[in-house]
Amino acid sequence: MRLQLTKASRGRPAERARLRTITLAILVCAPLAHADDRTEVSTSLFAEKRDGGKGNLTVIHPQALFGVDLGRFVTLDVAYAADIVTGATAGVYQVDATTAATKFSDLRNEGTLSLGFRGKRSRIVFSGTFGTERDYLSRQVGGAASIDLAGRNTTVALAYTHGFDQICNRDNGMASPLEARALTGDDPCDKPSVVLGKDTPGMTVWEDLSIDTAQVTLTQNLSPTMNMQLALFGQIQEGFQSNPYRRVRIGPNAPQEHIPDTRARWSVSARLNRFLPALKAAAHFDSRFYNDTWGVTGGNVELGYSQYMGKSLLLRLYGRIYQQTAATFFKDAFYYETESTAGEYFTGDRELSPVRNVTLGGKLTVITIGEDKPVLGLFDKLQLNLRGDLMFISVLAADSTADNPMGIDKQFIYGNSLIDGIVIQLGLLGNY
Amino acid sequence: MRTAFLLAIVLGLGSLAACGRQAVRASEKAMLADQVMVFDDDPHESAANEHVRTNREGAAGGKGAGGGGCGCN
Repeated sequence: MRLQLTKASRGRPAERARLRTITLAILVCAPLAHADDRTEVSTSLFAEKRDGGKGNLTVIHPQALFGVDLGRFVTLDVAYAADIVTGATAGVYQVDATTAATKFSDLRNEGTLSLGFRGKRSRIVFSGTFGTERDYLSRQVGGAASIDLAGRNTTVALAYTHGFDQICNRDNGMASPLEARALTGDDPCDKPSVVLGKDTPGMTVWEDLSIDTAQVTLTQNLSPTMNMQLALFGQIQEGFQSNPYRRVRIGPNAPQEHIPDTRARWSVSARLNRFLPALKAAAHFDSRFYNDTWGVTGGNVELGYSQYMGKSLLLRLYGRIYQQTAATFFKDAFYYETESTAGEYFTGDRELSPVRNVTLGGKLTVITIGEDKPVLGLFDKLQLNLRGDLMFISVLAADSTADNPMGIDKQFIYGNSLIDGIVIQLGLLGNY
Repeated sequence: MRTAFLLAIVLGLGSLAACGRQAVRASEKAMLADQVMVFDDDPHESAANEHVRTNREGAAGGKGAGGGGCGCN
């Protein structure tokens, strides 16, 4: 899913790679938390609108997960996800790029296979993921292991994934960054063997990107009604990480975005759940601190409240705020256009800008438990989930507003709507 | 500085683990096993959330491995 792309582009490789790492981590870890057979299907819709016709985006994201036990000690999970993306966005990062909005559409398919082994107090899962779209190939392998320490109040989990992706790019030969041209939707991105990209000399080349991700997690029961989780995350990305389609206006020229090849990132997070027996409810707290070698420092806090209503309904409400500083080489469009690049690099990537966003949402779950006989003749427990989020983005300046004669609000990457985006998700989860 | 930071993390985690040994008896874990107490109980919701946020935010990570809750692997 891309929020700030050019024609036929769905995004910056690093972010798509991160998405796959996150997805894989979740899939790897899911069997650690669920010991019974389960199946889940869901579809989410994300829609974003920017002011003045400067761009919009719609993403439909269906997912399916099917997990079974193969005997007492072995589990198998198969997962599929897709992105159906349509929208329009500006093609060049410049001030007031209203006229540059172009339409695009894309389809991404991704499959994951996980094999798990569990003992009395421990589990280990190995997973592989393959994803493909017109201009991107994703291949990842990983593993996760967890163990309950003595007393069964402490669970320690380790997870690691390695990704080796390929990104289709314009063949710019020996051109300097300021001369490099961006990829277009008409350029060929050949994948004759499906899993490997093939260069088209003189037109396109497939760039490499490796991603190594590790995480250690400790989950701790603090009392009969309270538990917490601490997680330490680290990732190294090495390779092509620019959006091959994105251009940045620098003086009279608009070369392809150019950002560093190496990025090391880490985060630490803490989460807390507190059950409230008298209310048959629970309160949730989630926080994270993040930093990387590109200079992005961010953090978020989320508060949530879950309330049972009778035996079959569960309502959860939550609010989240996130803020980050800009990467050291991110500048507002007017700076690149009227001043210079930021050293060697230049980018129009919103994820590298100073940004603050707020999310307010709710989720309603209808729970049906087969007490005397299976639900629909198959499930021990069946849940229908309906979730909705409202998203708000605040505009922050990367440079001094006193030196900004044109105004950051005219940069196409931001809008001035009250609500910047919505998420609606409908899902069905069954345990059997 | 980095060594001290890592040492603090190790000591902190070790202390929690030691304290947790007697924190909750097995007979007291009914509420901890409730689905509202399980971290990342719904992988699809987590995936969809990250899917949206990854395109708006430069940060990554923060979701733990393993659901936890009842301490019953």
